[in-house]
Amino acid sequence: MKTTLRQVLRSPRFMIGFCTFFLLLVIIFSYPIFNPGDPLEMIGLGTFFKPGTYVSLYDSVDAPRIYTLKLADSAANRIAAKLLPQDRVDMKDWLVLYGIDEETIDIEDTRALLELWWRNYDPDLRIDGMIRARHNAYVRLDRKLNGLFNSEDLTILRPNPETGEIEELLVVKDSDYVNLQDVVNVRVLPLGTDNFGRDVLRQLVSATATSLLMGLIAGTIATFIGLLLGLISGYVGGWVDDFLMFFINLFTVIPGFILLILISYSIGQEERSATTVAIVIGLTAWVWTARSVRSQVISLRNRDHVNLSKLSGHSLPRIILTDILPYIASYVVMAFILQISTAILAEASLSMLGLGPKTTEIFTLGLMMNWAMKYTAHLNGAWWAYYPVILTIALISFSLNLMNTGLDQVFNPQLRS
Amino acid sequence: MGNVILDVRGLTTKYITRFNEGVYAVDNVSFTLEEGKSLGIAGESGCGKSTLALSLMGYYFPPLHYMSGDIIINGRNISQMAPDDVRLKVLGTEIAYIPQAAMNALNPTQRIIRFVEDVIQAHDPKASKKDIYDLARQRFEILNLSPDVLQKHAVELSGGMKQRTVIAISTILSPKVLIADEPSSALDVSSQKMVIRMLRDLMEMGYIKCMIFITHELPLLYNVTDDIAVMYAGQFVERGTAKEMVFDPLHPYSKGLMESIIVPEAGTREIKLAAIPGTPPNLKSPPEGCRFAARCKYAQPMCQSSSIRFLELDNARNYRCILPEVELREAYGRE
Amino acid sequence: MNKALRKYLGKKALWFVITLFCAVLLNFILPRLMPGDPVSSIMAQLARGMTDAGAVKRVLDHYVEEFGINQPLHQQFFIYVGNLLRGEFGRSFVEYPRTVSDILVNALPWTIGLQLPAILTGWIIGNILGAIAAYVRKGFDKVVLPTMLFVGSIPAFGMAIILLSIFAINLQWLPVGGGYPHTMLPSVSLRFFASIIRHYHLPFWSIVLISIGGQAIGMRSMSIYELNADYVKYSRYMGIKDRKIVGYVFRNAMLPQVTGLALSIGTMIGGALVAEIIFSYPGLGSTMLAAINQNDYPLISATTLIITLMVLVIVFILDIIYGIIDPRVKAALID
Repeated sequence: MKTTLRQVLRSPRFMIGFCTFFLLLVIIFSYPIFNPGDPLEMIGLGTFFKPGTYVSLYDSVDAPRIYTLKLADSAANRIAAKLLPQDRVDMKDWLVLYGIDEETIDIEDTRALLELWWRNYDPDLRIDGMIRARHNAYVRLDRKLNGLFNSEDLTILRPNPETGEIEELLVVKDSDYVNLQDVVNVRVLPLGTDNFGRDVLRQLVSATATSLLMGLIAGTIATFIGLLLGLISGYVGGWVDDFLMFFINLFTVIPGFILLILISYSIGQEERSATTVAIVIGLTAWVWTARSVRSQVISLRNRDHVNLSKLSGHSLPRIILTDILPYIASYVVMAFILQISTAILAEASLSMLGLGPKTTEIFTLGLMMNWAMKYTAHLNGAWWAYYPVILTIALISFSLNLMNTGLDQVFNPQLRS
Repeated sequence: MGNVILDVRGLTTKYITRFNEGVYAVDNVSFTLEEGKSLGIAGESGCGKSTLALSLMGYYFPPLHYMSGDIIINGRNISQMAPDDVRLKVLGTEIAYIPQAAMNALNPTQRIIRFVEDVIQAHDPKASKKDIYDLARQRFEILNLSPDVLQKHAVELSGGMKQRTVIAISTILSPKVLIADEPSSALDVSSQKMVIRMLRDLMEMGYIKCMIFITHELPLLYNVTDDIAVMYAGQFVERGTAKEMVFDPLHPYSKGLMESIIVPEAGTREIKLAAIPGTPPNLKSPPEGCRFAARCKYAQPMCQSSSIRFLELDNARNYRCILPEVELREAYGRE
Repeated sequence: MNKALRKYLGKKALWFVITLFCAVLLNFILPRLMPGDPVSSIMAQLARGMTDAGAVKRVLDHYVEEFGINQPLHQQFFIYVGNLLRGEFGRSFVEYPRTVSDILVNALPWTIGLQLPAILTGWIIGNILGAIAAYVRKGFDKVVLPTMLFVGSIPAFGMAIILLSIFAINLQWLPVGGGYPHTMLPSVSLRFFASIIRHYHLPFWSIVLISIGGQAIGMRSMSIYELNADYVKYSRYMGIKDRKIVGYVFRNAMLPQVTGLALSIGTMIGGALVAEIIFSYPGLGSTMLAAINQNDYPLISATTLIITLMVLVIVFILDIIYGIIDPRVKAALID
């Protein structure tokens, strides 16, 4: 037993898997402590705010101190940011029509593009075949470009609370800065917001916890049923075995996923809590455990130590507890680990079909995916709404699978290299 | 003295384990085998018998590695040949092997005839299927095996049938030397007899020139082979004719081994089963001097240190012990 | 065809009929045992106040009559089976008066055309990679196994979204979804066929990729097991080339993988159905999603049944193939 444990701990696959899983658990438990809050709170008015630091504009105007920084590239950065991609394409089009070699124009290089434009553009020049509207559009674009260099100060006004008259509050120069620490309201959204304006990271942490818990419930139920059926079928044998084997074979070929859909649908949206869904998943996922436990028990049934126990008149529960269970424990543990990861996947797939837990109370990984897809996050480029979820599911299942192959190598020495 | 077919000189091979440790499983083994003769090799399990069988093939793959020594078959030194040449020109045609677990030696999903085709075509790619079938059929018939077996899969054959099929396939290219590693150990008595008769037939009909028979069942050797060699900790400790070895062993280990068996002829010997106390040395770092010294009743201080030379006896009888024959006999006589 | 094989096929055919019956029974009884049985789901639909109350009433009347809702459960079941045998699944609530069979007939070819080739391709690639990993071991294996484990850990829909966002949205090489462009009407033309192929790529490869992982890992273990088998060693000592021996090993490891595929096909199809949804592929997955979203009971029930039937037929076919190609099955039946 001790040596087996040492072998398990020495298996690199098991340890990598275990550490990954453990790290996930640490994050799940510690994040809410450092960053408390309701994951279902809708903080953003609008859908899919991108990840980043959100600074209150109101409070930055009111910041206690304004600093002046002379940064050489600030103007260039500002212009580069204001020069829209469409403007750049339009500029290139005109330059090409004018006769500049297309190869020499790099629309990403703001400075070179603008220089080229000002060297060549003439608002009075009529290019053959260009309609009037288009010509005028270019005149407007040219004016806009000139305006980019306008570095006049911004004036901020506000009504005087006493007199109601509009008065000047602040004049902002292009070299004025505030320190983020001086701004009262700053919110970091490392993974942005979802379609309802909720903090994705906070949601992800709580959803992972829920999904893992569901996996645990489903895995426990499935392992328990599988173990029970496998033990009875394998140990008792005879017609009991035939009868149970019929069921086991039946549910091996009838896809569990379909049963899951049928049951979940029949339960109805209102009745489906996370626990119910987890139980249903557990009820449909015991087949593999039952199969492997049964075949292990059959090979154990006629071993000497079991026969000896039988001859000594030990009771059936005692024989099973002391002479059978310890020998199949490793298989059961491995099956349990796999059950957790399949259950999490099953929940996700079920939720994608709209058969997951009721959406108003709780968040699971599958529900996050479901909403992201419903609001077509993938078509809007809102990667933060679904990539982290996929990665989390993959990581959970990868770490559990790694642990499983690690254990497999320890218990089936032939697989070792 | 007859025509020497197999001449092995100082053959040393080792296993390299997962932890990169070397185990000298066959250490400096030398012997010759003449045409028409058979040699039995006996020893406790783990003494290197089976490894010697594999080492004699001249074809090495991990974890077994060739270290030094020569294997000369019919005047050709195969230990100096390139592996692919050995595969092409030696295996199956010069020297052939019957594995220890012949039960699983045949691919379960392949018809026997397909495997025979693969074996023959590995040496002669141009051999036609018809010629191969005719040859196999003829050989099977001579060896009292039904040619129907050729069309079957290994899984459809009984244990004894499988073993005899493997022997027929191993010798189908008429190799000069046949090495049989425990060919009958897993069989029932009647199958065992059939296997032994088959091996004898092969020798008598001249399909094989000489045979090495490895087993832990000594009575079998006495009945089957001309000579017996006893192996201990990777080395030969004694070699002589079957009769000498069973009734008059010289080396203390051989003596112990022979005493631990029941000799078949009733009345020739008092039945006395005595296991040799102690365990063989660790071959990762074998002791200097005599490897049996630690377990030997007659060991003397110098046994542990000096390198023991193999004494040549007049009647081509060898044993590895510092005590002269006379002294050993005296010591045995005192008991 | 020999007797053993006939017996095997007979057994499998009987088993197919029994499982089919049980699947139909489950499909019938599960929704009726739950609080949300079909009648109440229709009532819910009614209560939700569809604009055309007359249409809903017609559906309800039609349903009561066709399925015999007002009769005892076992009679309902006979009516249900009778309807199934005639290929009648009733009419869809949502697309009334379109029949469910009509919807399914349109969706089924897309699903079969997508999933079967994809799963088969993934199975073949996975087996090849697994065999290579087992044979090469060091290096390649160290990379392949963890990669396969990771890729195998990505859920089907996840793989679909990853491919979609890379190749359809960022690189814009391939269309975002659907089976063919909305602007086109299905027709037998080269242009339409070409656009089907363009839409086919992403769903196909995402199913292939997720199928590879599990298969490769299974095949690797099987191959390692086979590589250690006695017949490999024996074949080597008979001079057969390594390449040929790898062929034996691959074949023997592959055969159980056929059964492995039969046992996991249900799960694989389940995953692939969700992947279909991501691409709005016009198959059963999208049909199911639409049906669930609109609470269309007859359509859901028929879709689950047709998917189960699909899985059962595939398992049956794989069982037959296995019985024919693996001689071990035949041998087991003779015993």
